[in-house]
Amino acid sequence: MTADYINPFLLAAASVFENMLGVQIQREKPFLRKAIEPQFEVTGVIGLTGKATGTVAFSLPASVAIAVTARLLGETPPTVNGQVADAIGEVTNMIAGAAKAQLAALELSLGLPTVVIGRECSIAFPSRAVPISIPFTCDLGPLVVEVGMVLDHH
Amino acid sequence: MTRVLLADDSGTMRTIIRRSLETLGVKEIVEAADGAQAAAQFKPGNFELVLTDWNMPGKTGVEVTRAIRAIDPKVPIVMITTEAEKARVLEAIQAGVTDYLVKPFTTEKLREKLDRYVQSA
Repeated sequence: MTADYINPFLLAAASVFENMLGVQIQREKPFLRKAIEPQFEVTGVIGLTGKATGTVAFSLPASVAIAVTARLLGETPPTVNGQVADAIGEVTNMIAGAAKAQLAALELSLGLPTVVIGRECSIAFPSRAVPISIPFTCDLGPLVVEVGMVLDHH
Repeated sequence: MTRVLLADDSGTMRTIIRRSLETLGVKEIVEAADGAQAAAQFKPGNFELVLTDWNMPGKTGVEVTRAIRAIDPKVPIVMITTEAEKARVLEAIQAGVTDYLVKPFTTEKLREKLDRYVQSA
């Protein structure tokens, strides 16, 4: 998976945070994802299909997920609850949607976002994919966008 | 007084858009959590502006647009969605959408739409 396919997700994450939350995010060094469990406690996951098959995951610590939700909704949830899950699902959807628009040649369709709370689970990427983890930092805390896609050569 | 019909199945997105509209001086906002609700709540003359998501249960934003256009050819309808490919935009316009706002968006972008289609908030 080349930078041409990763960069739209990086730009999308930055755009969503800047436009919807008023927060600048700074990219850190990407790395190959080897662990199967989510990086942090709150993770939005969306499946991608079309001329490529894949998964995009947006993972953040509980405190950051709550802070993101507070920015979006104007009130701070007391804990990671349904509001937080809905907000993170929507952010994941916007990141995937904005990236999809930059990858028109792949004719991608997005699944519905799923939000996983906790780390005692596995995030499944296509078996032939080599997922890339792109960590970010911002005023709210750390977060990571992970993408694993396999191009359809048929 | 500007009255807006806001259709989106995401409670988060409805809250985000509502807050932006209220910042812009719009106080009368009717929310619909799915496309079928939105189509049922629309009556000609009841709203100055319709904001609708694309992907919703019940009816999609395009289906909501067609249903509204069947009884009101003039009310401004703005699609607010992540669907940004040309073919999708064209599909929405052909269904009768007046304008398009791609997520993510700023309150300022929403203001531009209000200023363009609503005489006074």
